[in-house]
Amino acid sequence: MLQNLETVLSGGWLVKESAVTVTISVKWRKEVFKSVKIDTSQPPYVFKCQLYDLTGVPPERQKIMVKGGLLKDDADWSTVGVKQGLKLMMMGTADEVVKAPEKGPVFMEDLPEEEQALSLGLSAELFNLGNTCYMNSTIQCLHSVPELKSALLKFNIYCLSCDQVLRKKYPQFSQLHNGVFMQQDAEECWTQLLYTLSQSLQSPGSSASVANVKSHVAVYARNTDKILSNLCLTARIHCQDSGEESSETESTYFTGGEPFARWYLTIHFVRFFWKRESNQKAKILRKVDYPLELDVYDLCSDELRKRLEGPRRILRDEEGKKLGLKANEKSSSSKDGDVKMTDAGGSSNASGKSSAIASQEGAPSDKETCLTGIYDLVSVLTHKGKWIEFDDDNPIPQREEDIVKLSGGVLGDWHMAYISMYKSRTVSM
Amino acid sequence: MSDPKNDTGTAQPKAPAKDPKKKEEEDLSEEDLALKQQLELYVKRVQDSDPGLQKVALESMRHEIRTSTSSMTSVPKPLKFLRPHYGTLKAFYQTMPDSDLKKYLSDILSVLALTMSAEGERESLKYRLLGSEGDIGSWGHEYVRNLAGEISQEYIKRQSEEAPIEDLMELVQQIVSFHMKHNAEPEAVDLLMEVEDLDLLVEHVDKTNFKRTCLYLTSAARYLPGPDDMLVLDIAYTIYLKFEEFASALQIALSLDNMQHVRQVFTSCDNQLKKMQFCYILARHGITFELDDEMVADDDDREALQDIINNTKLSESYLTLARDIEVMEPKSPEDIYKAHLLDGRASAGASVDSARQNLAATFVNAFVNAGFGQDKLMTAPADSSIGGSTGNWLFKNKEHGKTSAAASLGMILLWDVDSGLAQIDKYFHSNDNHVIAGALLGVGIVNCGVKNDCDPALALLSEYISKEDSSVRIGAIIGLGIAYAGAQNEQIRSSLTPILNDAKAPLDVIAFTAISLGLIYVGSCNEEVAQAIIFALMDRSESELGEPLTRLLPLALGLLYLGKQENVEATAEVSKTFNEKIRKYCDMTLLSCAYAGTGNVLKVQNLLGHCAQHLEKGETHQGPAVLGIAMVAMAEELGLEMSVRSLEHLLQYGEQNIRRAVPLALGLLCISNPKVNVMDTLSRLSHDSDSEVAMSAVISLGLIGAGTNNARIAGMLRNLSSYYYKDASLLFCVRIAQGLVHLGKGLLTLNPYHSDRFLLSPTALAGLVTMLHACLDMKAMVLGKYHYVLYFIVLAMQPRMLMTVDENLKPLSVPVRVGQAVDVVGQAGRPKTITGFQTHSTPVLLAAGDRAELATEKYIPLSPILEGHVILKENPEYREDS
Repeated sequence: MLQNLETVLSGGWLVKESAVTVTISVKWRKEVFKSVKIDTSQPPYVFKCQLYDLTGVPPERQKIMVKGGLLKDDADWSTVGVKQGLKLMMMGTADEVVKAPEKGPVFMEDLPEEEQALSLGLSAELFNLGNTCYMNSTIQCLHSVPELKSALLKFNIYCLSCDQVLRKKYPQFSQLHNGVFMQQDAEECWTQLLYTLSQSLQSPGSSASVANVKSHVAVYARNTDKILSNLCLTARIHCQDSGEESSETESTYFTGGEPFARWYLTIHFVRFFWKRESNQKAKILRKVDYPLELDVYDLCSDELRKRLEGPRRILRDEEGKKLGLKANEKSSSSKDGDVKMTDAGGSSNASGKSSAIASQEGAPSDKETCLTGIYDLVSVLTHKGKWIEFDDDNPIPQREEDIVKLSGGVLGDWHMAYISMYKSRTVSM
Repeated sequence: MSDPKNDTGTAQPKAPAKDPKKKEEEDLSEEDLALKQQLELYVKRVQDSDPGLQKVALESMRHEIRTSTSSMTSVPKPLKFLRPHYGTLKAFYQTMPDSDLKKYLSDILSVLALTMSAEGERESLKYRLLGSEGDIGSWGHEYVRNLAGEISQEYIKRQSEEAPIEDLMELVQQIVSFHMKHNAEPEAVDLLMEVEDLDLLVEHVDKTNFKRTCLYLTSAARYLPGPDDMLVLDIAYTIYLKFEEFASALQIALSLDNMQHVRQVFTSCDNQLKKMQFCYILARHGITFELDDEMVADDDDREALQDIINNTKLSESYLTLARDIEVMEPKSPEDIYKAHLLDGRASAGASVDSARQNLAATFVNAFVNAGFGQDKLMTAPADSSIGGSTGNWLFKNKEHGKTSAAASLGMILLWDVDSGLAQIDKYFHSNDNHVIAGALLGVGIVNCGVKNDCDPALALLSEYISKEDSSVRIGAIIGLGIAYAGAQNEQIRSSLTPILNDAKAPLDVIAFTAISLGLIYVGSCNEEVAQAIIFALMDRSESELGEPLTRLLPLALGLLYLGKQENVEATAEVSKTFNEKIRKYCDMTLLSCAYAGTGNVLKVQNLLGHCAQHLEKGETHQGPAVLGIAMVAMAEELGLEMSVRSLEHLLQYGEQNIRRAVPLALGLLCISNPKVNVMDTLSRLSHDSDSEVAMSAVISLGLIGAGTNNARIAGMLRNLSSYYYKDASLLFCVRIAQGLVHLGKGLLTLNPYHSDRFLLSPTALAGLVTMLHACLDMKAMVLGKYHYVLYFIVLAMQPRMLMTVDENLKPLSVPVRVGQAVDVVGQAGRPKTITGFQTHSTPVLLAAGDRAELATEKYIPLSPILEGHVILKENPEYREDS
């Protein structure tokens, strides 16, 4: 302290003519204000006002660094140790003080748990109960059939503990491995479920809608029958796409139902086969393209073709007329799964259902709607190694390319289509 | 080093059987036969009674031997033919009366013993000492080397018997001077080390060989046990000083951490330009050093030099580099995540802001734009359309997240104190305590490694350390710790130590106060600070000792003794009295810190031993033990490789708490040095079923790639980000790692070693170790509310550049060759020091293991090691090629 006093005094002596003024330089941001005069007889506040003129920073916002701390408004200059040629540093801005926005953002972490999952774009409806993804995805896939969904809801068999029911009914699914239920084939589950549905939905009610549902289910059952018995080639219509895919993928059975499948056509990609050499199931990684729009006309028998010609013409005309609408239809119906896994039963939430579907539901009579042999892809059942939830209500429609990407190939070991379901495009006659 | 005897073929049978001998004779050429008969004649004559004849015979024999010692591919012919007579001559020698002739014979026997003497008998030395003591080199190198080997054995024997060694030392003198004259510096140094008299070296070095000698000394020092290593470096320092190689002397002074020596370098040198170069070396080392008028007389000069030490211009050079490389454009976290390269997954969804992901983005943004002064989140102009305004991003973080967000501004404006403080100022007036805490921490980060006369950090922060709100206090305290790391500032100590023993202070305030004190007094062995931390540890209640935060206290204690080896012993004794919950943890931490960067193999073994035990109940000391292995072994390349292998074993046999620490240890060993094998191990661990192992592996992937922009690691992390997209904690770690890989857009390094891996910056290591210790309990610290511990790595952040400047310190672009460094220690001639080089013009980036050399003769660098800032002087002898 004494030393400081001395330096001040000696500084004072040096500038004889103005014993109380000391010239210093002040650094503010990148600027240096040289020769700022301090009247040491005045309190530092006066000096701060001087700086206000220079910088535009109000005195209360100024922070001036002096030895050992900040310069206080009422400090004594002599204790500060100010001397001729001293360099001071000032901090402070005239900027607006940052204020918190009135309404802070809502963070995902603050949301209740169910909504957290939703915000990730996932449906919390079904959880993986330990290798039950095959079942979940199958159910989710069926979920994309509006007719079936409404029927199921009506009959209220869609019980919460469906895994138990399933295991009870089909004991093969309760096979254990290391104390955990084993991973099962989604296709098998699909078959069994459809069979059950076709049985159990038969009896009650006699309304038209039930009949409608019943017929659909029957179609499924028939289709899946064929797959199981490998009757693909003996079907009345040739195995579809045998001209294309089968030739390049000998080991991939690309089987499916005949276009008689009225509303829906399921195609099962047999991705597993028993490898005799290694005694284990092997997965076929081969790429199998599947179109977003499937036209089976070329594979139909002549008789069938004749029947289809009429409706097809009408459809073409219609499409020609409302080209725009068709595009909408396609994108909405082809929304599908997501990403992480599964099926993507997109169409359950498809906002704009095609007019054909609407008409179908309204007047479920075979005579009014005719098949065209053209099918739109509505859902794809895939599987990825480990997953927990899966997307049903993904609000962001998937792009078409993403769906086609699931077709497998060398890269897509983990994630590819097992079963794809097509919805028939129909026309009203 | 190598036993010279192995090279000389003593393995041959001593007295060959008669039959083969006869056969040999038959094979001999006429010439050889003549020589053989001649020598046999000499041997006979030596035994003659006539001294005259004896003398002639001895001299001829000597002549024969000397003229043929040049070839060493096989035993020289004369020696070979004399072998059968060794016994005869020896026997005759015994009978001879003392005379010059006897000494003559002794010389010859000494040479013959080179091939004949039995292992361990040291007859060559024996006869040499009895002999005429003539010029030792006249018998050839092999003889001298053999003799040196025998001397070291004899020396050990005599030491144990406490026999006099004068005669040996005389011989050593001769041998050393012979070696030094004949480009065999390593042999000379080895011999002197064996006889423990390195001081002799100083008088034998000359202008031509001192560099090679010192190079050998400094490299050997890494493998010597203490205190020999210090001794060896001291000799190297003396030699450098003797030949006025001041920059090298300074580097050795720094590696010895001997400030007296540093002063001496400054006082011995009177060239201002060279002193500037010294200041650049000091600045890179990151120590606080005040010049006085004894070191630099002129006030203006001193100020200019002090400015360099204070790193005031570091920001400027860094931006020059950035402009030259054209990476000024700010990068947003999305530019780093590169989600569009992922196959259409993970990017969708997330319609709601996630606080954790925003926090990750804050860190990524801070790391990537570190030091550039501009970014797209924090400093973007407020009037930009949507989401760009500073205020907005800050408030997209939740609670304590705002602390890290405000502090990230400090990171973005790193080293640029003037604009940094101006931009942070607005947050001081916030009414949100988290924001104020962040502003305080940001001030500390801006001032990291930069000293300013006005001490703005101290002035601004000291007011806040006793505030009511504990987050504000922590912000100010950590800020001080980062800004004044290594400064040993008394004023800060007196204001921080009371907090440690304040019964009312919350645990987190105490823990971070201890860390800050540890950083400020890093490697100082300051007893008062040590006392205060020890008391703070003893005051902790049983339940507090179980808290992860409490573990920062032993670390703070360890930092005080960082690299100080035995000095830790007193404190280590005290630590034995601690509560058993923390005792072992403390023990491990102290041990590992004290021997950090020494490469001490015994300590590594000790730590490995601790890791090999199976724990019974929830002990935690194995984590710091594993980290300790890395800290000790990171000193030199060989030890590093070995410990990478040992860590692999720990992974296989160790328990979970060890496995969690192993990735972090690997990260420290290869920091900013993405070795492929380590990268693969970490990549494997990043998919580990134990999420904490995976988390530390992910963070470590970031550490080994820190500031390299390594495409492979970036790809791995990108894939991990889609793999873990549903696991918020792991995704957070992946993001942090992505930020680290692109640290400073690839211009920065975290490696605490610099100057050709010779010097270890203590503050840099302290910062890294603090961050890694915090990562030992990822869930409680980094994923909890203490994520700002990540900012401790700012202490290790340095531009990995070579910036050449002219005599006015203005950037000067010259062509340089940059290539993989080659170890040239002990190699003959003038070997190339780099391989696979490319020619660039400065400023250039240097990767790990790279070395640069000037590609022009026009300038002379003032530093022997081209790293960081190097001043170039025009070469007066340079002639432009016409």
